[in-house]
Amino acid sequence: MSAHGSIIDCHVHPTAARGDGPAACAAEMLRYADRMGIEWQGLSLGPVFIQQPTEDEIVADNDFIAEMIELHPDRFFGYANLNPNLLFHSLREIDERIANGPFVGIKLWVALCCNHANVDAICERAAELRAPILQHTFFRAGGNLAGESSPADVAALASRHPEVTFIAAHAGLNWERGIRAVADQPNVCVDTCGFDPEAGFTEMAVQWLGAERVLYGSDAAGRSFASQLAKVHGADISDDDKRLILSGNMRRVLAL
Amino acid sequence: MNRTIIDCNANLGSWPFRRTSYNTPEDLLERIGRVGITQAWVTSLDAVVLKNVAAANAPLAEAVAEHDALRAVGTVNPSWPQWERDVAECAELGMIGVRVNPNYQAWLPTDPIFGELLSAAGELGLFVELTVRMTDERHHHPLMMVPPVALGGLLDLCARHQETTIMVANANNAQVLGVARDAAGPLPERLYFEMSHIESVGGVQAVADQIGVEHLLFGTHAPYYYPEAATLKVFDECDFSEAELEALTHGNAEGLLAAR
Repeated sequence: MSAHGSIIDCHVHPTAARGDGPAACAAEMLRYADRMGIEWQGLSLGPVFIQQPTEDEIVADNDFIAEMIELHPDRFFGYANLNPNLLFHSLREIDERIANGPFVGIKLWVALCCNHANVDAICERAAELRAPILQHTFFRAGGNLAGESSPADVAALASRHPEVTFIAAHAGLNWERGIRAVADQPNVCVDTCGFDPEAGFTEMAVQWLGAERVLYGSDAAGRSFASQLAKVHGADISDDDKRLILSGNMRRVLAL
Repeated sequence: MNRTIIDCNANLGSWPFRRTSYNTPEDLLERIGRVGITQAWVTSLDAVVLKNVAAANAPLAEAVAEHDALRAVGTVNPSWPQWERDVAECAELGMIGVRVNPNYQAWLPTDPIFGELLSAAGELGLFVELTVRMTDERHHHPLMMVPPVALGGLLDLCARHQETTIMVANANNAQVLGVARDAAGPLPERLYFEMSHIESVGGVQAVADQIGVEHLLFGTHAPYYYPEAATLKVFDECDFSEAELEALTHGNAEGLLAAR
C-alpha cells in the first residue's frame, strides 16, 4: 500500500506486458503493480490494438480481458472494448459483458469519433447499467486521426448524457487544452495517463476540475506505472486530493 | 539510505511553450532534493529555441557558479559560423559538456559538421549531449512541430570519434533499442543513454538488460517532468541489484566525467 493508501489504476492495457496468454499477462502486470502499491487495475484492449476491430476481434479481445478478471477478480476489473461502427454488436457486447458481468464499464478507442449518433445509443445503454465510459481523447498536433475523439467531443456527448460518467482518457494529451474543453461538463473526469510525466498537469487539472474529477491511470503496460504515478505523487496538491485521485474517485465512479 | 544520485538531464530557465516551476538553481535543487537527487547536470531551456544559442551559455555558467551540486552543460549550434569559439567558451566557463539540438537547429547528425563538433569537444574534454527531443511531438505548438532526431549513423560517429563521449538524451525505448539492435553487440564504450524518456512497465530495466546498465544514466528532464517519475521507475518499479543501482544513479556518470 502506498503512503496514500491503496491505488486504483483506471486505465491499463495488458497488451504490451511480457506475457503470452491471459494468465502470464496477469502475473506480469500484478508483479509490477504490487511493487507500486496498485491494488486494482481497470483493463481493456488486450491482445492487439486494432483501429477498426471486427466483431470477432472485439470478442477475442474482451474474452482475453474476461479471463484475466476471472483469474484475479480481486485485482482486475474490465471495460468492454467496443467498435461503435458495429452498433448492434456493441449493444450485444454491453449486455453480455456488463449486464451479465464481469465487466463494469465501456472502452471506446479510435474506431469512431464519439460525436457520432451510434455512440449516443451506447451511452443510453451505459446509463441504464450505470457503466462509466472510458473514451480515448487527443488534441493531436496536426489534427486527430479519423475516428479519434477530442475532449471537446466527449464534453458534447456528456452534455447529452448527464447520467453517465465519462473518463476523457489522457486529458486530451495536449492537456492544457483538454482540461479546458471538459471543464464545464461535470460528468466528465480526466485520467492522468498516456503522456509524459509533465509537471503542472495535475495541479492544473485539480485547479480547473476539482480533485474529484481527476483519476489516476497509467496506460500500462506501454507506459510505466511509475511515471504516471509521479504525476500524482509529485504534484503540489494536498494529500487529501492525492487520495481522491489515486483511489477515492474511482471507488465513487464504480460505486465500490 | 543516503545515496548519491546524479541527475544527468535537468534544465534551468524558461520553455517558451509552457510555464515551468522550479526553474531557478535554488528552486530546482530544492525540488529534486525532495526525491533524493544530490547533483544535477543542467542545460538551458531557453537555448533550445534561441537563434544565437550560445548567448545562453555564460548566464547558465553564472547561474550555477555558486551551487556545487549543479554542473552546467552548454549549448552549441555547429551549423552557425564560429561555433568553434562557442565550444571553447563552454570549456573556459568550466562546463562539463555541450548539448546540440539538431532538430531545432536544422541540421542532421549525419552532417559532417557534427563530426567536426565531436572532434572539437573531445579535444577540450567536453562530452556531447545529443538531445533527441524536448517534448512529445504529438502536442507541439501547431506552428512549430519539430520531429525527433533520428539516430541512424550514430554508431558510425562513435567509431570515428572514439575520443569523445556522447550522451543521448530524451530518447525513448524504441530509439535506444534501435541503436542497440544496429550495434549487434556491445555498444561503444563512450556512448551513453539518459533514461528520462524510457517508458513501459519495467522499461528501464528491460532497456538496461539490452544495452548494458553501464551505458545508462539517471535523468529526470526536471523541472519539465516531475522528478518522481525517474526515481519511482528506478527504485520502485524495477528490481535492480544494488550494484546496478550504484552504476545507474551515479557510478556511470562519475565514470563519464572522469574519462573525458
